[in-house]
Amino acid sequence: MTVMEMENKNSMDWILFLTTLILVLFGFIMVYSASYPEGYYNFNGDGFFFFRKQVTAGVAGIATLVLASFIDYRIYRALNKLIFLITIVATLSLFTAYGTEAYGAQRWISIGGLNIQPSDIIKVTAVMFMAYFLEKHNSKIKTFISGYIPVFLLILFFSGIIFIQNDLSTSFVMAMTLGVMFFCAGANLFHILLTIAGGIASIAYLIINEPYRTLRIISFLDPFKYKSSYGWQVVQSIYALGTGGLFGMGLGQSRQKFFYIPLAYNDFIFSIIGEELGFVGAFIVMAFYIVIIWRGLRIAINAKDQFGAFLAIGITSLIAIQTLVHIAVVTSSMPPTGIVLPFISAGGTSLLIFMGAVGILLNISKKSI
Amino acid sequence: MTKPNLKIKKRIIFLMFLFFISSVALVVRLGNIQIIEGEAYKKEAFSQWSRDITINASRGTIYDSKGKKLAVSIKSDTVVCFPRDVMKSIKTVEVEEKSDQNSFIFNFLNMFRRGENDNPMDLDNDLSANEGGPIPNKTPDEIADILAGILEMDREEIYEMITGDTDYVTIKRWVSVKQAEEVKAANLSGISVIEDNQRIYPYDNFASHILGFTNIDQAGMYGIESTYNGYLTGEPGRRIVNTDGNGIELPFDGFEQYYAPVDGLNVVLTIDEVIQHFAENAVEKAYYDNNAKSATMIIMNPNNGDILAMASRPSYDPNNPRLPYDETMKNEWSGLSGQDLQNEWYDLWRNISVNDIYEPGSTFKLLTTAIALEENKASMNSTYFCDGYVDDIITETPIKCWRYYNPHGLQTLAEALQNSCNDALADIGLAIGKETFYKYNKALGFGQRTNIALNGEAFGIVNSPETMRDVNLVTQAFGQGISVTPIQLVTAVGSLSNGGNLIKPRLVKQLVDNGGNIVHENPVEIVRKVFSEETSNNMMEIMESVVSQGAGISAYLPGYSVGGKTGTAQKVVNGKYSEELYVTSFIATAPTLDPEIVVLLIIDEPKDSYYGSVIAAPVVGAVIDETLKYMNVQPVYTKDEIIKLEKSYVIVPNVIGLSLKDASYELDRIGLKHNITLDNEEDILVKDQYPKEGIEVIKGSVITIMLN
Repeated sequence: MTVMEMENKNSMDWILFLTTLILVLFGFIMVYSASYPEGYYNFNGDGFFFFRKQVTAGVAGIATLVLASFIDYRIYRALNKLIFLITIVATLSLFTAYGTEAYGAQRWISIGGLNIQPSDIIKVTAVMFMAYFLEKHNSKIKTFISGYIPVFLLILFFSGIIFIQNDLSTSFVMAMTLGVMFFCAGANLFHILLTIAGGIASIAYLIINEPYRTLRIISFLDPFKYKSSYGWQVVQSIYALGTGGLFGMGLGQSRQKFFYIPLAYNDFIFSIIGEELGFVGAFIVMAFYIVIIWRGLRIAINAKDQFGAFLAIGITSLIAIQTLVHIAVVTSSMPPTGIVLPFISAGGTSLLIFMGAVGILLNISKKSI
Repeated sequence: MTKPNLKIKKRIIFLMFLFFISSVALVVRLGNIQIIEGEAYKKEAFSQWSRDITINASRGTIYDSKGKKLAVSIKSDTVVCFPRDVMKSIKTVEVEEKSDQNSFIFNFLNMFRRGENDNPMDLDNDLSANEGGPIPNKTPDEIADILAGILEMDREEIYEMITGDTDYVTIKRWVSVKQAEEVKAANLSGISVIEDNQRIYPYDNFASHILGFTNIDQAGMYGIESTYNGYLTGEPGRRIVNTDGNGIELPFDGFEQYYAPVDGLNVVLTIDEVIQHFAENAVEKAYYDNNAKSATMIIMNPNNGDILAMASRPSYDPNNPRLPYDETMKNEWSGLSGQDLQNEWYDLWRNISVNDIYEPGSTFKLLTTAIALEENKASMNSTYFCDGYVDDIITETPIKCWRYYNPHGLQTLAEALQNSCNDALADIGLAIGKETFYKYNKALGFGQRTNIALNGEAFGIVNSPETMRDVNLVTQAFGQGISVTPIQLVTAVGSLSNGGNLIKPRLVKQLVDNGGNIVHENPVEIVRKVFSEETSNNMMEIMESVVSQGAGISAYLPGYSVGGKTGTAQKVVNGKYSEELYVTSFIATAPTLDPEIVVLLIIDEPKDSYYGSVIAAPVVGAVIDETLKYMNVQPVYTKDEIIKLEKSYVIVPNVIGLSLKDASYELDRIGLKHNITLDNEEDILVKDQYPKEGIEVIKGSVITIMLN
């Protein structure tokens, strides 16, 4: 018996593990259904094109999850400098790629034959580094100079490097996640409220001064008026949901996936779930996410140390916020941005990273009090 | 290693609460969309998926009585457009352009993304690379350019159509196979090639006033196409298909509904294509030879009312009904536009045989005579004295016989008609009296429609006895002051030929379905018996004598006992009889012993000569000869004719394959005539002849030759 095993009073959180697994398997089916037209028309009649990729990524994801669940999470604290370095390298790799004539190897980190986009890695490494930072400076966290300012700059830095390589939405999710971690770590509520006020003001400024974004907001407020232009995606998404009704059209029976909804298997997969499985199916899927959030935050509460708690908060919030934003976009509850639904949407990198993150959560659960 | 304190745990629980509240809010929102407003959205979604495509039923064929196809429908490709699918391509393209132009970040990021799309195996690239469907999006401008090139149409016109605010628009009907292929290959969103029916009239400018034509929507205009439109059209089918976001039909079963079209019925006419050709040739000759305003011929079987032929010149090609008939007309039409041109078209499309009325002139004397015979106001032995003037009634200007300068003197009833003597007919008319004359006019169908299966039939004008003075009775007795349609006159004279029955003219014999089953048969309808058998026989004798001994001599045919009567009527211009404009006509029946046909030829406004005996009778004679031979009616010769003929029989030589010139010389050499009179190249080859080689015919017979 090793020391490590002696420490383990609890076994792994099986509810979290099984819930995640079910969502991933369900995701295979939904990706197949939603991507069939795209695969059929654009990949030489291969309706299984995206399904195969998703299953490959999913199998790699399970391996990653299991592996991560056996790696002591405290190693990420110890390796905080390396983690930060990985973040920087991942970002810089893009710029080196741009400099070279041949794109490829430098731009992507290849794991098991899958190409991974840096921004997905940064989401997790940023959470890890923030957890380390918040634990280390927890005593001064309420102060303005030593607490608020460094954290604020860190959040700005991490969401900034995502902003320049991807789009606003991922950067927004990143900032929200890190902000939530800061809040839970005991931030001064006055600082938080001030930041929210400042954030709203700057977002308003950005929207008003960019006609393109203004139009997006206007079209969000009345998508049917802009049905044939900016409102298109949202209107099509609402049509899909409305068509699904209470019980849905039946699995595989979506018609909106036939090029009415762009990226039906990706940014709008929840619309297809709603269309094929109805309100009942969509509700059950949401219930699974609520279970994951509940288990994730429960792990945070029961974590043995602050780092574990902050890490669990970060990972769970990442999943929660991304899920809520996805569903909010699909139901036209917020302005449309492109964000994938964790575990379900097609996309190998995203699936792999989220499953790995759940593996970390499971490891924290093993060492809880 | 600090343990999480209570404050942190409280905040985590607060966070859990926030997430939970957000989730509940989204579930409420979802329920609102899916359940409360679901049905409304569902309806809109269904309407955006479905395309309702009409499948035209195949229009019925029009046959002649022998089964030759006079009008057929063929499948032909048509280019159509669903404008909303075209408009959608604007959306995608515009959004891309907008985001390109307006977002600095977007451009900045695009620099990093360069080359990404080249590698289809990159996992994440695929997900963002293609937001469209299988079709490369093109703007309406590009689509209009491409279509204008392929279809040879005006680009602006196409642009208007494909960006219009309609669900469905036809861009061009009946495109060539090559054009259809090119449009399909161009793969334009919102543009489809569908199968449509096209109406074809294989004989072109032939029987056009009977057939009529169809408009662009396959609806019959004029003629049988119009009167039988309901039967010919059938019931269009529908196909409701679901399409994807690019307007492409979804390739899976179960998404479509299909209502099969019911094909139209086929119409079998009483027209005989060969006899119709005889009539077409005859009116063409009469029209050009006399430089006439128009020439019209009707050939009818008096025994059952079947119209065997009905032709007019000028006429039109139902395949292109808006083209002028000939060069002369083309010149007259040049410079016309709008309403003027339209009026010219309407005139061209009129069927003179049923739509126009005219004063029958002397041809009407036959009917006056028959009425007198039937009412015993005259007999075959009656005699009449012509002194040049009608003196039984008092008029301001005396009514003259046409040969007042050399009065006919004493004549029998038959001679009076041979002479076409107005003086005698005035006596006969007065003997009949107004009431009786009117009664017979009604009985013969004048002033009423014959109800032939053609649109716009005219009634004609017949005076009622109350408004008729003696002078009217006299002039109407010889065919002036009464207006009839050509079809009315043919029907009335038919009653003289068939033993006294007025028979409704029949143009459509039956309706048959595509399986050849007769769905409906139009019966022969005897309207009423007007004359006795005896009157009919007497009239045949009189009519025969008019041809063999009177003014109709140039219609004489040995063996066929042709009976007929000429007519020349001055036209009424501005309420007065014109000195220059005439309607010349000849009505005939043959063989008088057992009549098979009644033929009427009307030449409107002939320019040089206006006597029916000179210009109309010979044409009718030739048509009767051709028709009776074609119908295999055996000639019955009188003794005189046999003696004359024995010396004059010749055997028809073969002229098929000879040039027109050689054939003409050959026929001339052995004393035969031929029927080609229009300008033709002398070296054009003879394709067929009738009668065929080796048949015995009378010298001077007309050999029908058909040219290549």
